[in-house]
Amino acid sequence: MSAAGRAGDAANRYGLLVVLAGLLLTFSLVRPAFATYGNALIVLQSVAVVGVVALGVTVSMTTGGFDLSAGACVGTVVMVTALAMVRYNLTGASAVVAGLLAGLLVAGVNVLLTVVARVPDLVATLGTMFLFQGLALIVTSGQSVAAGMTVDGAPAPGRYTEGFAWLGGGTIASVPVPVVVFALLAVAVHVLLGHTRWGRALYAIGGNAEAARLAGIRVARYRALGYVISGLCAALGGILLSARLGRGDVGAGDPYLLQSVAAALIGFAVLGTNRPNALGTVVGALFIGVVINGMTMLNAPYYAQTFVQGALLVGSLVMSFGLARGGREGRTSR
Amino acid sequence: MTVLSVSEVSKTYGATRALRGVSLDLAPGEVLGLIGANGAGKSTLIKVLSGATRASSGSVRLAGRPFEPSGPLDAQAAGVQTVHQNIDDGVVPGMTVAENLTLDGFGRGGSGWFVTRGRIRERARPVAADAGLLADLDAPVESLSPSGRQRVVIARALSRAPKVLILDEPTSTLSAAEADALLPRVRELAGDGVAVLYVSHRLSEIEALCDRVVVLRDGRARRTFTAPVDRHAVVAAMLGDLVPDTSTTGKAVDTSESVLTASGVTARPGGAPFDLRVRPGEILGVTGLVGSGKTELLEQFFGARPLLSGTLTLGGAPYRPKDPGAAIKAGVALVAEERAARAVVPGWSLRAHVSLPRLGAHTVAGVLSRRAERSSAEEVVRLLAVRTSGVEAAIETLSGGNQQKVVVGRWLTGSPRLLLLDEPFRGVDVGARADLGRVLRGRADGLAVLVASSDPEEVLELADRILVLHEGSLAGELRAADATAERLTGLMAGTPAREPS
Repeated sequence: MSAAGRAGDAANRYGLLVVLAGLLLTFSLVRPAFATYGNALIVLQSVAVVGVVALGVTVSMTTGGFDLSAGACVGTVVMVTALAMVRYNLTGASAVVAGLLAGLLVAGVNVLLTVVARVPDLVATLGTMFLFQGLALIVTSGQSVAAGMTVDGAPAPGRYTEGFAWLGGGTIASVPVPVVVFALLAVAVHVLLGHTRWGRALYAIGGNAEAARLAGIRVARYRALGYVISGLCAALGGILLSARLGRGDVGAGDPYLLQSVAAALIGFAVLGTNRPNALGTVVGALFIGVVINGMTMLNAPYYAQTFVQGALLVGSLVMSFGLARGGREGRTSR
Repeated sequence: MTVLSVSEVSKTYGATRALRGVSLDLAPGEVLGLIGANGAGKSTLIKVLSGATRASSGSVRLAGRPFEPSGPLDAQAAGVQTVHQNIDDGVVPGMTVAENLTLDGFGRGGSGWFVTRGRIRERARPVAADAGLLADLDAPVESLSPSGRQRVVIARALSRAPKVLILDEPTSTLSAAEADALLPRVRELAGDGVAVLYVSHRLSEIEALCDRVVVLRDGRARRTFTAPVDRHAVVAAMLGDLVPDTSTTGKAVDTSESVLTASGVTARPGGAPFDLRVRPGEILGVTGLVGSGKTELLEQFFGARPLLSGTLTLGGAPYRPKDPGAAIKAGVALVAEERAARAVVPGWSLRAHVSLPRLGAHTVAGVLSRRAERSSAEEVVRLLAVRTSGVEAAIETLSGGNQQKVVVGRWLTGSPRLLLLDEPFRGVDVGARADLGRVLRGRADGLAVLVASSDPEEVLELADRILVLHEGSLAGELRAADATAERLTGLMAGTPAREPS
């Protein structure tokens, strides 16, 4: 392999990790408050919801799908859980179940559109995104849902239960609950994709669907499974977000689509895998969290954050797609 | 007089020599047939002439001047028009017939900024009239039948006043009646002075239409026939000298029972139903020209496409797989043709390819066991002498023959009852082919094999018994010992004793 090929290969494998380490070092040197246990928990807490949603998007991408409805699903679940407790005075556990059911509903629509009606994934999930953003507005008449709101002239009967709020604000051995959920889910998705036959089948479909079909894999079923897992993860993200907010804000889920897709795509570039993977998605989510946290500490204006995230995404896409080609040719020529 | 003169043209792709010094001449008003088996070099020759690729050596002259097109547009401008096999690559759906006929104008300068229906119709009318196209100019092009769409494509090609018209398998997507209607059209075009290069797999068309026929085999122009064409000789030239390998015929086959019994099955729509049996330990060959229905037949047995007619039994029990997964469970395996598109997952290791069809057998307590996967992969490597740096090597690093050993061998580790092989030796070197043949013939576990190939030599080499398909129907059945080159080519051409009109 040529020196240039080797360099490209190394950049493809370790480039993103080196950049992340460099950022951590820079922020720590410039702002000593950055490198503290407390701040680490803040960063983790800030990326937990994005990370949970992104892990689901990662699974949907393994089959060659793409779940653009994840953000709308988060928003819908925030509204559903808020309505369940505030307006219908249900228990926290019932609100969690209602939220997960809403996630399954979103996934069901995606499956109907992509697997049954054979609409291309990108446009199908785009349609689902619009549908559920709109639906969340309709059921709440475009209003935020919070304790004490008026329903038909009378104050709403319920409020967020303490148990439910613990999901967003509580801690387990000083670690915030959303961070624990994120970590457990990351391990679960990592095992699913990397170490089970179902994960192998999902990747096979993404790599060559016809080869997978002729190897006896039921392609439609696995594509549906990808969307179901994605919908459930987005619902879990929505539950955590709702618990943290303590109210059902209109449009609360909107930023989560771009950030979670970015985290999953950045993850392609980790260790040169060039495919969706749980470890990469975790790194991608952390990357976004570190950059935003560090920039805030450096007093960078908040309105520059989106641009920096965009630059991060574009850079890692070049790393995984542009450099990967050189690397792959280098490997086959050996 | 010659309008197109090809001399000593060669084309190599890496180590593959697709064309090896092909020469042919084409005169105005002539219809020249070009025929050859898969991989004979037809497509490469068309690519060179249509400007899609450049010859590695040799020269082409058009009307006396050197012809070295830099791309398809350049070739068109010089007067060589190509109508490709897939009609729908040539029309733009959603546009009207008139718009499709005048597409060329849009891409060039001088057509003005604005296009109106009226102007398009005005320009399309003479194009349609010249080509004898009767379709409604305002109809959406997708409302036309396949042959109607093809006429639009041909009309557009003719509007560029071609010196040479290349028709690449023009009837492959047409019904029989539509194909019959096309042939006189082609004759008329030639009558107007156009030189036509007619590429087809269908012998009856070549026979009915062409003034001369050039047969390609292994990248060389083997023979040129002048009308009237002797079908049998054409097929013999296409397939080369057949040397039956008598070493295959000694195997003992248990004739009392059968693994697969098919009754009343149909190879492809329009073919006549027939029966078929494969016995334990037997290798049954299925041969026939391209389009004879071999692939379709095998895929029906594997559940990869719905059974057209008839019933199947496997090991005595009724068998009707609803998908490949069900077929695999029942003990049936398929190695599909076109390995790269239908078996290889890019970037995956040899190990992952081996375990893919039987992931469940490599799982311990729900988790895939790398060790089990590796031992299966190593078994395949040992069994078929796969040349690789190891089982973790990416499949792309293996040669075509070794990749094929992997996709065949992965089924053998699961001990199937019936192995279906579709064109298993295409793009496979002689050594790998011999290894595969040795292993398949050497099985002692009663595995039944059904091997389909359009190359009768491959079938003769491997099979105990040979079925010949012709245009979707069973043309004959031979024991390998009785199979001769003569008889096989006759059956494949559909000629023996019953000459179709």
